[in-house]
Amino acid sequence: MKTLSRFLTCLVLSLSVGAGNVYADEVSDALKGLFKGFRKKESAPAPQPVAPVAPSSPAAPTPPSGQESPTDLLLKSLMSGKTSPEEEARIGQQIAGNLVGVAPLVRDDALQRYVNQVGRWVALQSERADLDWRFGVIESEDLNAFAAPGGYIFLTKGLYRRLNSESELAGVLGHEIGHVVKKHQLKLLQKSQGIAALGGFLSQKVKNSNELVQNLIGNGAEMMARGLDKDAEFEADRLGLVYAARSGYEAYGLPTVLAEIGHSAKGDARVSLLYKTHPHPEERLGQLSEAVGNRMDGVTDGQTGDSRFYRLR
Amino acid sequence: MTRIWMFLLALFSLPALATPGTMIKDDTLRAQPAAAAAGVGQAAKGAAVEILGRQSGWTQIKAGGVTGWVRVLSVRGEAPAGGLADVGAALQKRDSSKVVAVAGLRGLSEEELKGARFNGQELARMDHYRVDRGGAQQFAMMANLRTRDVPHLPKPESKRSQPGGGASSNSMLDGF
Repeated sequence: MKTLSRFLTCLVLSLSVGAGNVYADEVSDALKGLFKGFRKKESAPAPQPVAPVAPSSPAAPTPPSGQESPTDLLLKSLMSGKTSPEEEARIGQQIAGNLVGVAPLVRDDALQRYVNQVGRWVALQSERADLDWRFGVIESEDLNAFAAPGGYIFLTKGLYRRLNSESELAGVLGHEIGHVVKKHQLKLLQKSQGIAALGGFLSQKVKNSNELVQNLIGNGAEMMARGLDKDAEFEADRLGLVYAARSGYEAYGLPTVLAEIGHSAKGDARVSLLYKTHPHPEERLGQLSEAVGNRMDGVTDGQTGDSRFYRLR
Repeated sequence: MTRIWMFLLALFSLPALATPGTMIKDDTLRAQPAAAAAGVGQAAKGAAVEILGRQSGWTQIKAGGVTGWVRVLSVRGEAPAGGLADVGAALQKRDSSKVVAVAGLRGLSEEELKGARFNGQELARMDHYRVDRGGAQQFAMMANLRTRDVPHLPKPESKRSQPGGGASSNSMLDGF
């Protein structure tokens, strides 16, 4: 069952990534056919790409509550080749709910509200300003930050404690916002699990369609532990720096944090996951330095927001 | 006790002194923290320098006996002897409340994330703190944060970029 769900996950994601990724195109073509077979076993027709659950089709099973079942929702996105904002939000919600299951939110209303104010303001300067952005500081002494699809952004208390200004916070949040804007997590899931899941699918039968949605959670958490590829991290660094600068902040908050994290010893348990899932901060600084060059020379009047910065109790 | 305070004082006064740094890229040392300021020297990538201070997008350094300003992203600070992380850990242990927090949490290991269980209550709590567009704009207004047009940064070209290809002054710098 788990393998099947993984397969379905990767199918959703591979299709959502769309053209431009050769791998995704190959796999999605192969999987579309397989998926129809899977539906047959459930004795339901393949849904139409655009139509809502078609009441005209006599064979279509009507969801009991008048609500579309998770399977139907995912199927629609599969067959249409797109992940709707709602579906992305659903995937993100489950990954985020999973993460706070491991590390709950810090019990500090003022802190959480402050992070949401800064984060939402920075997100407003991105290409997905109207996403339902949510930000949270989670109980962990690790130095790390996470993003899940749909606009869920987290940073650990350990990382927050290392920050010295609002511009640094804006830079870190900007980096994570960049991941969401570019849908890096969705692309990763599709890339890394496609082939393996395809093999597993062939020997599986479906019993409970809700399980496939449930299993998105597990996959999402694994993704957090595995990390993205280097280029995605470098890209998010460039985006984060720009978003923070656009928001009126001093542009160098993010590189300042990277330099600070870079001073952590390799053996420090608080950075082991970060170092495992990201290029070394020194390498990221080097890449940012190359990308910025003299391009930010004219952007001079940004705030650091030191005095406004919320200090942990 | 006095010794501890003197120790702490010494620690906290470190950043005020010159700290060791390494050049991330070649840059010109300038008399003032501005691109238009006169050049007073050069520092090459990899060169060991002293970091003296910082102002907006500029870092004041001393390289080869010359003092001047380079772009913040041209130089990287090294951890002071002993390491910042170690200092942080040592200070943390003095705060009993933080020790509890560390002991109570196992950290975010890969295994833990894989075995994670959905927590809808925490997620609902997160929704509760959400700030909408209007709220964010109001925050920015109170903070006097003004938006600026900043174009996206291109992905850096590989080192062996064609000379004369990209016309930006940056790629010209890289050519040297």
